Amino acid sequence: MIENIPILSFILLAPLVGALLVLLLPKQRSGWLRITALVFSLIPLALCLWLFASYQPGAGGTAFTEHYTWLSIPLNKDASQGIASMLLHFDYHLAVDGISLPMLLLTSIVSSMAAMASVHIRKRWKMYYVLFLLLETGMYGVFLARDLILFFIFFEITLIPMFFLIGIWGYFGREKAANRFLVYNGLGSAAMLLAFLILIATAGFTAAQAAGGYQLDFSGSYDVLLKNLSDPNAYANLDPAKTGDLGLHLSNNLKWGAFVLLLIAFGIKIPIFPFHTWMLRVHKEAPPSIVMIHSGVLLKMGVYGLIRFGAFLLPAQLHSWSTVLAVLGVINILYGAILACVQKEFKLVLAYSSVSHMGIVLLGIASLNEIGLQGAIYQSVSHGLISALLFLIVGSLYERTGTTELDDLGGLAKSVPFLSGILLTAGLASLGLPGLSGFVGEFLSFLGLFGSMKWLTAVGVLGILFAAVYVLRSVLGITFGPIQDRLTEIKDARFVEAVPMIALTALIILLGVYPSILTDLMQHGFTGLLEQFTQRAGG
Amino acid sequence: MTVFAEYAWLVPVFPVAAFAVLIAMGRGAGRPGAWIGTLATLLSLILSLCIAGERISGKAEDYSAHYHWLQVGNISLSAGYEVTNLTSLMLVIVTLVSFLVNLYSQGYMRDDDRMPTFFAYMGLFTGSMLGLVLADNLLTMYIFWELVGVCSFLLVGFWFHKPEAKAAAKKAFIVTRIGDLGLLIAILLLFWYMPNHALDFSTLHNVFATQSGVIATGITTWIALLIFLGAVGKSGQFPLHVWLPDAMEGPTPISALIHAATMVAAGVFLVARTFDIFQASPAAMHTVAIIGAFTAIFAATIGLAQNDIKRILAYSTISQLGYMMLALGVGSMPAAMFHLFTHAFFKALLFLGAGSIIHGVHTQDIREMGGLGRKMKTTAWTFGIGALALSGIPPFAGFWSKDAILTAALDKQPILFVVGAVAAFFTALYMARLFFLVFTGNPRNDSHAHESPAVMTIPLVVLAVLAVVAGFVQTPFNGWFAEWLTGDKAVEHGSGLVMVVSAAIGLLGVYLGWLIYAKGAIRRDVVSSRMPGLVKLLENKYYIDELYHLLFVKPLYALGKVLNAFDDYVVDGVVRLAGQSATGLGRLNARLQSGQVQAYTLTALIGLVILALAIAGRRFW
Amino acid sequence: MNMLASYLTLAAVLFCIGLYGVITKRNAIIVLLSIELMLNAVNLNLVAFSKYGVHPSLTGQIFSLFTMTVAAAEAAVGVAILVAIYRNRASVNVDEFDELRR
Repeated sequence: MIENIPILSFILLAPLVGALLVLLLPKQRSGWLRITALVFSLIPLALCLWLFASYQPGAGGTAFTEHYTWLSIPLNKDASQGIASMLLHFDYHLAVDGISLPMLLLTSIVSSMAAMASVHIRKRWKMYYVLFLLLETGMYGVFLARDLILFFIFFEITLIPMFFLIGIWGYFGREKAANRFLVYNGLGSAAMLLAFLILIATAGFTAAQAAGGYQLDFSGSYDVLLKNLSDPNAYANLDPAKTGDLGLHLSNNLKWGAFVLLLIAFGIKIPIFPFHTWMLRVHKEAPPSIVMIHSGVLLKMGVYGLIRFGAFLLPAQLHSWSTVLAVLGVINILYGAILACVQKEFKLVLAYSSVSHMGIVLLGIASLNEIGLQGAIYQSVSHGLISALLFLIVGSLYERTGTTELDDLGGLAKSVPFLSGILLTAGLASLGLPGLSGFVGEFLSFLGLFGSMKWLTAVGVLGILFAAVYVLRSVLGITFGPIQDRLTEIKDARFVEAVPMIALTALIILLGVYPSILTDLMQHGFTGLLEQFTQRAGG
Repeated sequence: MTVFAEYAWLVPVFPVAAFAVLIAMGRGAGRPGAWIGTLATLLSLILSLCIAGERISGKAEDYSAHYHWLQVGNISLSAGYEVTNLTSLMLVIVTLVSFLVNLYSQGYMRDDDRMPTFFAYMGLFTGSMLGLVLADNLLTMYIFWELVGVCSFLLVGFWFHKPEAKAAAKKAFIVTRIGDLGLLIAILLLFWYMPNHALDFSTLHNVFATQSGVIATGITTWIALLIFLGAVGKSGQFPLHVWLPDAMEGPTPISALIHAATMVAAGVFLVARTFDIFQASPAAMHTVAIIGAFTAIFAATIGLAQNDIKRILAYSTISQLGYMMLALGVGSMPAAMFHLFTHAFFKALLFLGAGSIIHGVHTQDIREMGGLGRKMKTTAWTFGIGALALSGIPPFAGFWSKDAILTAALDKQPILFVVGAVAAFFTALYMARLFFLVFTGNPRNDSHAHESPAVMTIPLVVLAVLAVVAGFVQTPFNGWFAEWLTGDKAVEHGSGLVMVVSAAIGLLGVYLGWLIYAKGAIRRDVVSSRMPGLVKLLENKYYIDELYHLLFVKPLYALGKVLNAFDDYVVDGVVRLAGQSATGLGRLNARLQSGQVQAYTLTALIGLVILALAIAGRRFW
Repeated sequence: MNMLASYLTLAAVLFCIGLYGVITKRNAIIVLLSIELMLNAVNLNLVAFSKYGVHPSLTGQIFSLFTMTVAAAEAAVGVAILVAIYRNRASVNVDEFDELRR
């Protein structure tokens, strides 16, 4: 029976199996290695598409869930406080809903395209593909995991392959970039772990009456946390007279502490100004196929985390800080956009433009309404596709011209019309042209925030204008104008490069023309959660 | 009965399909491929004519349909189309001009090796423009509004290897985007203030025209002004007019189609479509009228001193669009649409004529032309008709529409009437200058000018005929057009006075031009010798470009540089400092690390002992 | 007399002797031997607890078997490393090794 197939585990494990297979292949056969990696990236893509097609919106994603106990540790019990037994267990719990499914789709698409784009990798293929597939597993795990500890582990799993992928296969400043990446993200992970521990220790348990007292069952389960945090009487069945001061109460201060820690943890990943400098270096120094994943998916893990844990677990905190978040978003938008206008290096333009675009996502989250949240997710998906496409092109351009300095490029539309056409399309998508996916996300985010913060939104909208300035300045600088002599002879995209470009362009157009394909899906994953959210944020 | 209106969605689909086919085929499509674009536009034209015919026969009701575009919560954003008299009129204008320009381009672009791309872009433009026209709500309209902007950008930059074309394309996109932001914010405002978050035009009409008070006057004014900002950007009104003259770097057929007849008129169309909002806010109406009148005279004066044939026509377009805005501002939507209608034909005619001239003599400077009337007969007389229509000489089309605007202005704001009349005089003068310098006198360069091929002259002839007859749909003696457009019988009829004055002004301008530039009765440097400063000011377009550069571009760039330094040294510097201090501390500690295993073990042992003592001590304390 | 205490004392003495050896001896082979001594002290503890502990069970004795296995493996690897080092350096004097610093 198809219902009994653990499809989520298949998605999660396929790249891992691929990595093992790659390990068995001889290291000189780059072709074999590439095809293996590609096939094991395409399997999750196919599975995700199947998931997308068969996802039952009404069921809220409960149709797809896998739950096994993974670790179970009995804790010291203290009978004097009326506790019969205490158990700490971590579960292997995977599930999808309207928020994670778009992210899964994005991950599978971008990583397949990045696997194809890895033709530019020129050394140590075997290790590259092993790390690449490991990174993929980590990303799927992040979006699938429903247990805080599991989430944390997968979040960490993405760091290590990334560190090596940047540090070994990057450009000239690769080692420093890799270090910076690890330091920042390690800091973020520490904050996240601390926040998770606070949450688990204070709210991550269920209590049941048993023979000798209460039976406390601690776990990292997201569902338990959500239930306890959203239910004002979550501890009602515990009798304080019997249990005494267990320290089980999640006080307001602790909630704030957890919220700020989560904001720092995911803010580094998103990244929020002033935590963005690591990401500029990664954009500049990492190999383009890895930046596709980095900019396309890894940054979105921050968004996903902030929505999943920040918005849904601690809505009251988010509510009182929505203005702060919106201001940070506007700073991100304008700061990134203005800096993108003066960069001399194309990859840095794109890096700052990512800062700017992620600011729009923050605005969507800060809006605290459904339009904005959908906008935030939509914008994440769309930005993932667009920046993946842009860095795909950057990779091809660098391979041909050996440079990404804007001053050294120009007039490429004459010698490489296909690449230039795709670059122009991607640029237009990036500046939010309607009919391409970028517009929908931006529009929904602004629309959502405008309901609560009019002036701030109006200032943020200026970012769209600057986006036009920096995109046109850089893209036209590369493709338009008189061509330089040494660039006249270069060849247009090969078939293997053209396929992912066309696929991504087609997706960007599809999402721009017919957004319902994604919004309907998010919608149904959202509503149940959202009702609670608005209700509690209000109270 | 609505037979054809139900298929109105097909009108934009044909050209867009042609775009898709041509882009997919790439450069391989060759010259035959270009006919795909022309054929698609022809199909659209036929369907549009059917729809318009159906509406003129008077039996059809307004037809609209919409599709679910995306759903958020219980709010649905839809995409839809609507066929009314106004939209069917625009359909005909757009498809007709687009078809003629397509035909013309078959000749004009013959030698360009990217001809299929050109026709592809033109197909996309036509489709988007038709979508804009048909849209039944503001959001859909905004989507197409941006798309026409991007097509304009692509076509202005069609000859991408020219640095001027690159700069012009960039400028066109960015400057119009300023206006687009206004429109976007207006949509955001409407979305949150309208009952049920409705954005469709019929609900807008209901709310603003019939249930005044649902939305506060202050908000209404904001909405109207922000919509108008969008119109200002698109229609090249002061102060966002700077992109339009530069956009003349594009191929001339494009200037005729996009920057004269259709896209730039979208601003006027937008205001006409949301006219109820404007009418609910007197302040907004005043602004529209004043900006329109000022732009009309401002651009006309610049047109007097330019030497590039296309730039003269561009400033003339800005000026005429100013007239339309003036008409809207004084409350006469039919007059504005009427002028839009006639202007589309005679300005497209003038641009295509200019293209024919450029095709023949390979220069755009009117000082290097002259005596072309003998060599290019068809071009000359069709251009002459266009010029007369633009100058407002009876009985050509431009006379009637300009007359309608001036009449409306006189009713509301006599001072604006005076401004409009003076601008009309300048218009006649610069057109006379242009015509006589180009077509009469002796040739001023030795090019072998020749008449253009038939595929280029036929559209000229068709447009010339239209420039003569299009005006008769609405004269002071016959109010059919306004009545059909608004469904309103009580349309004011013009006074004889305005007719006489406007005809006299036009004739005076042409006569003066003839005296100066053809007969030579008045010396040409009569003004420039006495007021060189004024002429220099006009030649440099009032230094607006330079002013903007100083005011916006430079400070933004400087701010960017400052922030870049800030990002490098402060934001990243703090991180570097933190990183380096950690490294320093680590280096200090590294001295302890001798590499001797046994030393390590001893250290571990000492640590263990201390730990044990500490625990034991705590117990006994 | 409490049997457990005497076993534990013996184990502690053994452990300390081992530790002393690890820290002071120059010859790497003797260091390895001292480590074995420490491991066996631990084994002694495990067995003692499994017999005289609060909850006597076989687990401790089984665990000591594990420890022995691991100790054997460790000794094998350790001696192998030593041989490798000796080939490179012609010395088994621990004082001369500061590879960990590099």
